Amino acid sequence: MYRMVEGPRTALLAQLRRGTLEYCVLALLNDGERYGLDLVRQLGQVEGMMTSEGTVYPLLGRLRRDGLVATTWRESPSGPPRRYYHLTPDGRQALDSFAREWANFRDAVDHFLDAGEDLDERDRR
Amino acid sequence: MNATVADRLVADYLARLNAALRDLPAARREELLEQVSEHIATARAELGDQAGEAEIRTMLDRLGDPAAIAAEASQRPADTPEPAQPRAGWREIGALILLPVGGIVIPVVGWFVGLALLWSSEQWSVRDKVIGTLVIPGGLALPLSLGLLTGSTEYCTTPPTQVGGGGGGAASVCAGGPPGWWEVLGPVVFVLLLLAPIATVIYLGRQLRRRPQTAPAMS
Repeated sequence: MYRMVEGPRTALLAQLRRGTLEYCVLALLNDGERYGLDLVRQLGQVEGMMTSEGTVYPLLGRLRRDGLVATTWRESPSGPPRRYYHLTPDGRQALDSFAREWANFRDAVDHFLDAGEDLDERDRR
Repeated sequence: MNATVADRLVADYLARLNAALRDLPAARREELLEQVSEHIATARAELGDQAGEAEIRTMLDRLGDPAAIAAEASQRPADTPEPAQPRAGWREIGALILLPVGGIVIPVVGWFVGLALLWSSEQWSVRDKVIGTLVIPGGLALPLSLGLLTGSTEYCTTPPTQVGGGGGGAASVCAGGPPGWWEVLGPVVFVLLLLAPIATVIYLGRQLRRRPQTAPAMS
């Protein structure tokens, strides 16, 4: 989606990741409910989305307290009962409006980044 | 595999997480511990019995440093500051007042209102809430109502003959009253029932003071 910048920009990226991770979680729940380990693994498949698996759980708790996700207990075929997370109507609304705002924001940033990149490439030739 | 080594690794990890989360409100700490315990249990069930120590270690490494989880738990994104929530809000103060004396002010109902406030608060752990519920149902209303009911038996120490001919009813109460041991044990139980709700309120109040609601600023 966007390029990783090394070094002093890591603080900014941490902030960006922190701010957007919760919407990635909401987006993962858009298709249906998931249990914690499943969610965490899906997020882990894309590098750079989270620092460690455990840090997703405080976020899930926060989303639950904010009323954006709700939980249901279900028996599992193997192992202990699992807590499944699903979107609430508020959560769906938050996801939809963020998706629109994010698309605008991404396009705006890309507009300048791509323009800069074109100039760089021209200079190198 | 060597189950005891795996169990010890997991128990050690959860203990470190519990310690790292000590500054969080009890309800949030419990929720996080449950979430992470479930993560570990589900992952172990998937790994199966073949899982060795190395697999367990890898799984815990991927969960990450408990301190990182605690840091994440104690902050919100910069643009949504955590609502300033006093440690003892109206909910907590209401519970601390209504649990002991609510049942006296408004019989039965008052205590249940206190109970609802206790369980809806995020400041106490489930353990605290169970203690607040069981010691003593009804609060001070229970020993006081018992005291009123059994109060008449105190007059039984005077022989029924001295009550007089007009007190035939009272004499029969004394005759049918509790056996002698109750006269010794009764006041002890009565005092215990009086002290227990007060002790519970003091305990719950101290639990509020022990855990600062606003964790030290992380960012």
